[in-house]
Amino acid sequence: MNPGLPLYARSRALPQTLAALAATTGFAVWAAGALDAYLDPGRRVPVVALAPLLAAAVIGASLRSDSDELDRTAVRPWWPRRLAHLLALTALASAVLPVAVAGHAETFGAPAMIRNILGCVGIVALAAVVLGARLSWLPAFGYVSAAYLASSGARGRAATVWAWPVQPGAQPGAWAAALAAFALGTALYAVRGARPGG
Amino acid sequence: MSVRVTGLCVRHRRTVALDSVDLELGAGVHGLLGPNGAGKTSLIRVLATVGRPSAGRVELLGRNSDSPRERSGIRGRLGYLPQEFGFYPAFTVREFVAYVAWLKEVPADRVPAAVERALRRVGLADRADAKMRTLSGGMIRRVGIAQAVVNDPSLLLLDEPTAGLDPEQRVEFRELLRELGTSATVVVSTHLVEDVAAACTEVTLLDEGRIAYRGTPAALTRLGETSDGPGDHPIERGYTAALRAHRARGVTDARETV
Repeated sequence: MNPGLPLYARSRALPQTLAALAATTGFAVWAAGALDAYLDPGRRVPVVALAPLLAAAVIGASLRSDSDELDRTAVRPWWPRRLAHLLALTALASAVLPVAVAGHAETFGAPAMIRNILGCVGIVALAAVVLGARLSWLPAFGYVSAAYLASSGARGRAATVWAWPVQPGAQPGAWAAALAAFALGTALYAVRGARPGG
Repeated sequence: MSVRVTGLCVRHRRTVALDSVDLELGAGVHGLLGPNGAGKTSLIRVLATVGRPSAGRVELLGRNSDSPRERSGIRGRLGYLPQEFGFYPAFTVREFVAYVAWLKEVPADRVPAAVERALRRVGLADRADAKMRTLSGGMIRRVGIAQAVVNDPSLLLLDEPTAGLDPEQRVEFRELLRELGTSATVVVSTHLVEDVAAACTEVTLLDEGRIAYRGTPAALTRLGETSDGPGDHPIERGYTAALRAHRARGVTDARETV
C-alpha cells in the first residue's frame, strides 16, 4: 500500500470518523430498542430521522483539510479521492446503521434509514462546499429538525417530497428528494471540495 | 525560461491584484518585493497553479498552466511555500513532509530519503519525530520550507519564507537559497530587502499590480546610492526610489491621458 494513503486517512481524521460512526450505530441500536416499536413502527421515526443526521455530521467533519493551499498543488486531480472518500463513508454508514431498524421495510425500516443517510450526506456535502466542513452539519440539522417538527400536520404529495426525512421507506417522492440531494451534494463536493478555512 | 507570463491579470471581486504583468524568469533566485497589497502573493499563487488568472497566459517549465494535463506535469516539479500553510498538529515533522511528498507523487520507495534530505537542508533532522504541535513558529516555517523542497523542484515558490526565523536561521536559509538557485528557478516574495540583497540574483518590484522595477540587487543598491530617499541601507533607498519613480511615471501617464 502507498504510505501516503494512511497519512491521508489520518489527515482527514478517518480513524476518529470510523469510531464516531460505530458509536452512532450503537446509540441507534440502543434507541431503537428502547422505543418498543415492534407493534408500531411509526415510533421509529426519531431514530430513522436523527441517526442518519448524526452519521452525516460525522462524515461532514471528515471532509475538512487543514492544508488546503498545499493540497491544491497535488499532482493528481482531487475529485476521484474526494468522491471515493464520500462514497466509502456513505456506503459504510448505509451498511451498519440499518442494523438498528431491522424489519418493517415498507414503513420505517432499513430502506428509510438508507434513504435518509443519502439525503443527509448530500446536504452535508453541499454545505461543506458552501460553508466549509466545520459547519457542514448545520443546514442538515436545521432541515431535518424543521421537517420533523412541521411534518406531523402536513398532508399531500408535496409533503412526501419536502418532508422526506420522516416518510416511510416505500415513498417514491421522498426517495427522489433524498437521491437528488445526494447526487447534487456529492457531485459538487467532488468537483469543488470543502470551502477552505471552514 | 522556467516562467513566462504574458498579460497576466488577476482580479479579486472588484480589486485588481495584477494588471497586465509580463514576466520571464530563468534559473536563479528572484526576489519579489513590494508594499502590502502590491500583488506579490497573487503572483506567487498563480505561479503555484493555485490562483486562477482572469486574463493572460502563464507558461511554467515549458508547459501551459491553463491545461489540466500540463498542470499535473508542472505540479510534480513545483515546490510551494504559502504565506500561511496549514498543517496537521498530530503529524510528526517527518509525516507532514512525507504527506506532501505523496501529494507530489514522489515514488514511495524514495520518500524516506527525500524527507530526510529535505529536513537536513533546513536543519530539522533532529526534530523529525517531533509532533508538529510542539514546534515553535520558526521551526514550523522551516518545516514549510522542507515540504517545498522535498520533491527537488525545478520551480520553487516561497511566500515570506523568512517570517519567524531568527537571524542565524535567516543566514542559513539564504545559503540554502543560493544553493537551490544554482539548479532551479526560485521565486522569493519578501518584505526584507536585506534578504534580497544577500541571496537573490534578480529582483522584481511590484506596485499596485504592476511591475515597477526589474534588475539586479546590485543595480537597485546603486540606485539607492544616488538617491536621497528614506532608508538605512542603500538597497532600501533604492527600493523606495524605484517605487517613487514608478508612481511618478504613473501620475505623468495619467495626466497625459487626460
